[in-house]
Amino acid sequence: MLSRIGNSLFWLGRYLERAEHVARYTKVQYVSSLDAPLVQSKEFVLESILNMTGMYSNYFNKFDALSDDDVLYFVTLSKSNPSSIAACIAYIRENARGARDSISSELWEAINRFYHSVNSFTETKFHNEGIFNFSQMIENNSSVIKGYIDNTLIRNEVWNLIGLGVHIERAAQVNTIILTKLNDIEKHVIKKYESSLENYQYNTMLKSAEAFDMFKRLYNTNTNRKQSLEFLIFNPKFPKSIAYNLILFQKNIQELGFPENGNIQSLNFWAGKLACNYQYKTIEEVEGDIKEFLKQSLSNIFELATKLENKYLKF
Amino acid sequence: MGQTYKSEVLPGVFKNYEVIQNFLDEVFLQDGQVNNHYRKVIDLFCKYSSANFNELKEHANLSFFNQGITFAVYSDENRGVERIFPFDLFPRIITAPEWAQLEKGLIQRNEAINLFIHDIYHKKQILKDGVVPPELIFSSKHYSKAMIGVNPIGGIYNHISGTDLIKHSDGEYYVLEDNIRSPSGVSYVLSNRETMKKTLFNLFRKYNIQSVQEYPQQLLNTMQSVAPDGVDSPTCIILTPGVYNSAYYEHAFLALSMGISLVEGRDLFVDKNFVYMKTIHGPKRVDVIYRRIDDEFLDPLAFNPNSVLGVPGLMGAYREGNVTIINAPGTGAADDKAVYSYVPDIIRYYLNEEPILKNVHTYRCELDSDFKYVLENMENLVVKPVDESGGYGILIGSNSTKAEREEFRRLITADRRKYIAQPIMGLSVHSTFIQETSQFEPRHIDLRTFTLLGKDKKFVLQGGLSRVALTKGSLVVNSSQGGGSKDTWVLAE
Repeated sequence: MLSRIGNSLFWLGRYLERAEHVARYTKVQYVSSLDAPLVQSKEFVLESILNMTGMYSNYFNKFDALSDDDVLYFVTLSKSNPSSIAACIAYIRENARGARDSISSELWEAINRFYHSVNSFTETKFHNEGIFNFSQMIENNSSVIKGYIDNTLIRNEVWNLIGLGVHIERAAQVNTIILTKLNDIEKHVIKKYESSLENYQYNTMLKSAEAFDMFKRLYNTNTNRKQSLEFLIFNPKFPKSIAYNLILFQKNIQELGFPENGNIQSLNFWAGKLACNYQYKTIEEVEGDIKEFLKQSLSNIFELATKLENKYLKF
Repeated sequence: MGQTYKSEVLPGVFKNYEVIQNFLDEVFLQDGQVNNHYRKVIDLFCKYSSANFNELKEHANLSFFNQGITFAVYSDENRGVERIFPFDLFPRIITAPEWAQLEKGLIQRNEAINLFIHDIYHKKQILKDGVVPPELIFSSKHYSKAMIGVNPIGGIYNHISGTDLIKHSDGEYYVLEDNIRSPSGVSYVLSNRETMKKTLFNLFRKYNIQSVQEYPQQLLNTMQSVAPDGVDSPTCIILTPGVYNSAYYEHAFLALSMGISLVEGRDLFVDKNFVYMKTIHGPKRVDVIYRRIDDEFLDPLAFNPNSVLGVPGLMGAYREGNVTIINAPGTGAADDKAVYSYVPDIIRYYLNEEPILKNVHTYRCELDSDFKYVLENMENLVVKPVDESGGYGILIGSNSTKAEREEFRRLITADRRKYIAQPIMGLSVHSTFIQETSQFEPRHIDLRTFTLLGKDKKFVLQGGLSRVALTKGSLVVNSSQGGGSKDTWVLAE
């Protein structure tokens, strides 16, 4: 496999996961704020969306104030935003086009159709249909594409490289969601402590990671700080948790079979070391300074991705 | 049940069909009768209303769109709007005996051209014998000094030829162009067929049609047959300029259907006269390169030093016989439109046979008598630059204004070697569905064929790309000039 193609496949996976998480987070936050249990300001939710997606300063370079329509359009489709969901999907297609000869026609056509359905959204159409329908379309297409990835590709380096992208990006996105929600809660707590508001924030946090239903099944209890954090960070069997994704990342590295995998400087070693950090740790150990732990965790995840790129995907 | 097959009494989508006099209509005879081999198509199509047919056409268009067989249209309001290349659902049908003759002619012509290219880079016997004027070859911008004395593996230069043919009003096929540099369009042949099978599946039951699906396999066999000596399982690749090239879809399509890597210049490097690609597991040796970039961009050390598409040192590896390049560099010297006029003589010279395919008479402006004739009779001629492709820079005398002809007189006088002229050929017409009128109307067509030559192997794709000039009365079929295409059926019996 060419390093350039490897790079395209890795980023195909990353952008796919990124678009999906940005869409879902925006949808969940915005839609649940419409009938929030407490009067909480709209601005607060819009700010949370811009923070989680990393678009806060970019937005304020263009606009003076927060408005529903402006924020939602900026995050999803605005041409003036180079990290909009539409931009991610254009990158997905560009990467797939570059790697066209490595993937199945079915996968390519699903990506191509996805691109065209996003591209056909005008600003008017977007405001008419609303963020819920738009995000749902993004999430559905993302699932269809992942279905083709899993059901039409050989389990070889092509599949492994897309998987590396998907898992590292998902770990990073979930990590960012948790951090953003913790910040949101902190801001509220400073204003006025409200336990039902805090629970509400953990609900939206779990829903933003498609983790709400499974959380209920596993813990048979109402959402609470400790268990929702434990579930999203440490659960080794839940496909959205940071631990699960880092374990899968290492598994993909091992399957790629780089000859230096046994070496202590190897990527396999680094990936394993990082995954252990979540497998053999409990929520009790980190609960006290959870934000610091998550900040360090996010920077470790990005460092791992950079190591992979520098070592094998340069061309 | 007396079925009438005269165009003037056909119902539905043929209601207003008019058989044009003076041009050969592939579907209808001059008296309006339907040509025998088209009857079953007409029977079926007559059952459709305009609305049915428009719907079918939408299906076909969507199929191309979803496959990504599109080109981008750029405008201010519409970011990233993409359009498909127009495709017509009425297949062009060629009978078995007619095709057999074409196939023989194509192989004869391309084999002779191969011998000719070998000769002009070695002994130059044909030039010494005065059959082809030497200055014609040495003045060609595609004559490559880097190829002098080089012996390509298997002795083949033009592995892939995209010979363009037309059918004249006299009922004969004529060769229009030889296209032996990097002919494109074969992916459309295969995609058109796939789309036809999805859309008009019931028509396929009524005919026995030659398949086109084996082309990628044949191409891979051709590539493998010319691998460097001593390589058991050669690594074959396609070299593309990248995703922004207008033919990228075809490059990717061919790579995928042959199961080989699609590579850009930046993925390759040369070390000690061997070519390698950069893979995630380290360098891997490359043996056969089907390049879809022009000669001048292949190797910045040997040709254009500013090229970023090519691979420094590639020509060195090629000359050492460590890698095969398909088509060989320097083939362009033989598909120059002025050299074209000598091809019948070239066939006689090397093969000692009479040419099977006809040439269109060509006036070479560098000859004084021809030059004079062209200037005086421009309104009855097609004037073409010798080294351009894609239908660019040509003048069709009958459709030109006085000012345009004046401009061409000036251009020709300034560079006589650069221009040739040919009589305006009566390209045959074929019934084509026109969406504006929701009716079938006659439109001019040509035929691009694909011939493969390998070491001890030859193959002609059964059919080819029938290109259609969609504008009424237009003779220019190139896709870059508003042309469309049709599926082309060669009948089996």
